[in-house]
Amino acid sequence: MQSVETVRVWFRKAGAAKYISHLDLTHCMGRALKLSRLPVWYTEGFNPRIYMTYAMPLSLGVAGERECMDIRLTQPVPYGEVADRLGRHLPQGLEVLGAAAPEHKLEETAWADYEIALEDGDSQGLREAVTRLLGREALLVKKHTKKGEREIDIKPVFAGTEVAPRPGGLLLTMRLPCSPSGSVNPSLLLEALKAYENREPAAQITRLRLLLEDFSEIR
Amino acid sequence: MYPKELEKILLNVQKPGRYVGGEINSVVKDKSDVEVRFAFCFPDTYEIGMSHLGIKILYGAMNQVPYFWCERVFAPWVDMEQRMREEGVPLYALESGDPVADFDFIGFTLQYELSYTNVLNMLQLAGIPLRAADRHDLFHIVAGGGPCACNPEPLADFFDLFFLGDGEEVDLEVMELYRQCKKEGTTKAEFLRRAAQVPGVYVPSLYEVEYHDDGTVKSYTPKEGAPARVEKRVVLDLDKAYYPKSFPVPMIEVVHDRIAEEVLRGCIRGCRFCQAGFLYRPFREKGIAAIDRQCRDLCASTGYDEISLSSLSTSDYSNLNQLIDTLHQWTEGEKVSLSLPSLRVDNFSPALMERINSVRKSGLTFAPEAGSQRMRDVINKNVEEAELLHTVDVAFTEGWNRVKLYFMIGLPTETEEDVLAILNLGKKVVDTFYQNKEKPKGKGVEVALSAAAFVPKPFTPFQWFGQDTMEQLRQKQRALKGNIPSRRLTVNYHDAQTSFLEAVFARGDRRLGVVLEKGVEMGFHFDGWADCFDFDKWMEAFAACGLDPAFYANRTREKDEVFPWDHLDYGIRKEFLWEEWERAQNAQTTPNCREACSHCGAACYKGGICVAKR
Repeated sequence: MQSVETVRVWFRKAGAAKYISHLDLTHCMGRALKLSRLPVWYTEGFNPRIYMTYAMPLSLGVAGERECMDIRLTQPVPYGEVADRLGRHLPQGLEVLGAAAPEHKLEETAWADYEIALEDGDSQGLREAVTRLLGREALLVKKHTKKGEREIDIKPVFAGTEVAPRPGGLLLTMRLPCSPSGSVNPSLLLEALKAYENREPAAQITRLRLLLEDFSEIR
Repeated sequence: MYPKELEKILLNVQKPGRYVGGEINSVVKDKSDVEVRFAFCFPDTYEIGMSHLGIKILYGAMNQVPYFWCERVFAPWVDMEQRMREEGVPLYALESGDPVADFDFIGFTLQYELSYTNVLNMLQLAGIPLRAADRHDLFHIVAGGGPCACNPEPLADFFDLFFLGDGEEVDLEVMELYRQCKKEGTTKAEFLRRAAQVPGVYVPSLYEVEYHDDGTVKSYTPKEGAPARVEKRVVLDLDKAYYPKSFPVPMIEVVHDRIAEEVLRGCIRGCRFCQAGFLYRPFREKGIAAIDRQCRDLCASTGYDEISLSSLSTSDYSNLNQLIDTLHQWTEGEKVSLSLPSLRVDNFSPALMERINSVRKSGLTFAPEAGSQRMRDVINKNVEEAELLHTVDVAFTEGWNRVKLYFMIGLPTETEEDVLAILNLGKKVVDTFYQNKEKPKGKGVEVALSAAAFVPKPFTPFQWFGQDTMEQLRQKQRALKGNIPSRRLTVNYHDAQTSFLEAVFARGDRRLGVVLEKGVEMGFHFDGWADCFDFDKWMEAFAACGLDPAFYANRTREKDEVFPWDHLDYGIRKEFLWEEWERAQNAQTTPNCREACSHCGAACYKGGICVAKR
C-alpha cells in the first residue's frame, strides 16, 4: 500500500441536506471529493471506490452541527485547502467546517449532545406536557428490533433532559449514548410525548457534537 | 429551495430528499433579471424525472438565456400530495420554492400515456385552471412536448400548445415570442396565433374537429391562419446542437444515477411496433470529438463516475469501438466507467463487454420481442434465433448464468403457436446452457421471460391494428404460465388493464379530455404505478362520460380512416406506414436504414442517414 495520510473532515449537515439518508450523504461526498480533485485514496479490489468512513450515521431528518468523516490522501495537502476544495462542490446544506489530523479513533465515540426544537400552537400547554412527561417514573416506548417489538423504559437516558423556552415553543437539550455498540435515538422522546401526552409538535432534532467516554469532544 | 412551511411535513413523508432541491448545478437566478419563467414539469416522481435526459438538455438550453429561468417540478408522491393538500401548500418549483402559479410557462414532458392524470393533477395542485379556455390572460401558458405530443389530442383541451419533435430550438423560440408579446401587450389569442406560425408548434385550439356518426374523425380544419399540417422540428447536426455542460446532480439516489451522453438520435431499425423508431427519424450520429468533449465537461461538473452512452440503440453507433477507445484514453485514469443502456443480440461480443461496464456478470438482458421467427418478421425485429442462441452461448462461456428476455404478446397476426414459441425459445436458451462445456461451474441457469402486452401506437405501421382484448391477452398469459417447459424458466407479465388504458389514450381523440377531467375529479394519479391504478374506477369514469374505451383500443381501423394525429407531420408518410402494415401481415421484413432506404419520407429533412453514403 502506498503511504497515505488520514484526514478528518468536519462538516455540517442541515437545511436541504438533512433530508437525505446516510447512504445518499456518502454518495454526495464521493462526488464532491471527485470534483475537488484532491488526491484521495481509493479502496483496492474489484470495484475501487473513494475511501470514506464516518463516525455515527445521522438519522434522516436530523441535522448535524459538527459531524465528521475520515478520508485518506495519497499526497499531503494543507488542511485548509482540503476543506476549501471539498466545500466548493457540496449541495445546499452540506458545509465543510474544517479538516485536521484525527486525534481519536472514530470508534471511541460514546455520547452525543442533541437539541430538539419543539413548536406547536400552544407553547404553554406544550411546556406543561413536556414537564409532566419528564417527571414520570418510567417512560415506556415500543422499540422496533430485528426480533420484533419490545417495550423499553427510556426514562433513565432522558433523565437529564433540559427544557428551555424558545420563541413559539421549547428547546430540549440532552446527552445520549451514541456509540458503535449502541445508541439512543432522540426521537424516542417524541414518541413518548405522543404516547403519554397525545402531542405531536413540529420537531427539529439537531446533533450538536460527538463526545468521547469522558464527555470531551472527539477530535 | 423548498418553502419553509414544509419543514414539518417533510419529516412525515417518504424520501423527503425529493422535495427540497438544493442540488449542485441547479440554476438559481435573481428574479429581477428574469423576464420569462418556465416551470419544467415532469409528471412522475423525482427519481424518475431526474433520470430523464430531455429535461437536462432543455433545462440547460433555457437557462443559458439570461432572461429566461427554467426550474424543475416533479409530481409529489401520494403521501406528500396529501400533506400538501391538508396544509394548503401549492405545487412549487425546486429552484426558487415559488408556487408554479407564479410561472409564465408550465411545460410538461409527455413520456407515457398513463401520466396524463398526473399532468392534470399537477395543474390542479398548482391552482391553475385545467382548461386552456379558462386561462384568459397571456400568462400560465401550458405547453407539452415529448413522444406523446405526437398524438396529444386527449390533452388538447388543457394545453395551449405542443412542441413537436426536437425541443432544443423551438422551445426557446416560443419563449422569445412570448417575451415579445408581453412587451407589446398582446392578448393570449394573438400570442397563440403567432406561435402557430412557428414550425414545430401545434396550437390545438386553432383546429376545428368534426366527427362522423360512427365516432371516427371526419376532419381537422385549421383556423386563423394555422397550418393545415404541423411539421415536427428536427435538429440535424448533433455536433452543433446545444448539449448541457452540467446538470443538477440529485442528492438522493435516482433511477439512472449517472451521466447520460446522447451519442445518436433516431434508430435505423424500423421495428414496426416501436413508436420512437419512427418519431425520431432520421438517424443522426454525434461525432466522436463532440461526444468526448461533452463527456469531459459533464464529468468535470457532476462528479459522477459512470457515463451511459445513451440512445435508442447505441450498439448501432457506426464507430463504437473507436468511440470507446477515445473515451478510454482518459476515463480509466479518472476512474470513470462506461455503460451502454441496451444491447442487441446481433452485436453483443465479449470483447465489447470487456470494455464497458454495462452489466454485472450475473444478468444479461436481450429483447427478441417475439418467440417465433414468423412473428419476429411480422414486427420487423430482424433477429434470428440462431443469433440469439449463439450470443447466449458466448455469454455462458464468459461466465454469465442469468438471462432475461423481453417479449410482447398480442402482436398482430399472433396465434397460440406464436405465443408458445416464447417458451420454446426460452427452453432452447436453457438447453444451450447445459450443452455448453465451458459454462460457469456450480451454477444453474436462470432464464426469465417477460411478456408485455403490445400497445399499438400512432406513427407506426400498427396504428391501424385493434389491440387484443384484455380477455385475449389473459388467455395468452395463461397459455404461457400453464406450459412452462423447464424449472429454469420463469415467466412474468403485467396485468392487461394498464396496457388497455395505455392503448386508449395513445390513439385517443379530443373527446377523451372529459374522461381525464373526470379522472382527476375522482382522485386518479400515478396510474402507471400498480398501487395507485384502479381499473374499475376508470371504467366508471368512461361510463360517466358516455365513451367506450374499446372504440379506441380494440378497433381495427380502415385504410383511409382519418386519425386524430394525421395533421401532425413527423416526416413519415402515411402511405409508407400502410405499406409496412401490409408487409407485416405477410411476414415480410424491411431492411434497416443502413442497408437500404425504404422511402419512409424522413429524407425530407435532408440530413442524417438519409443523406449519408451507404
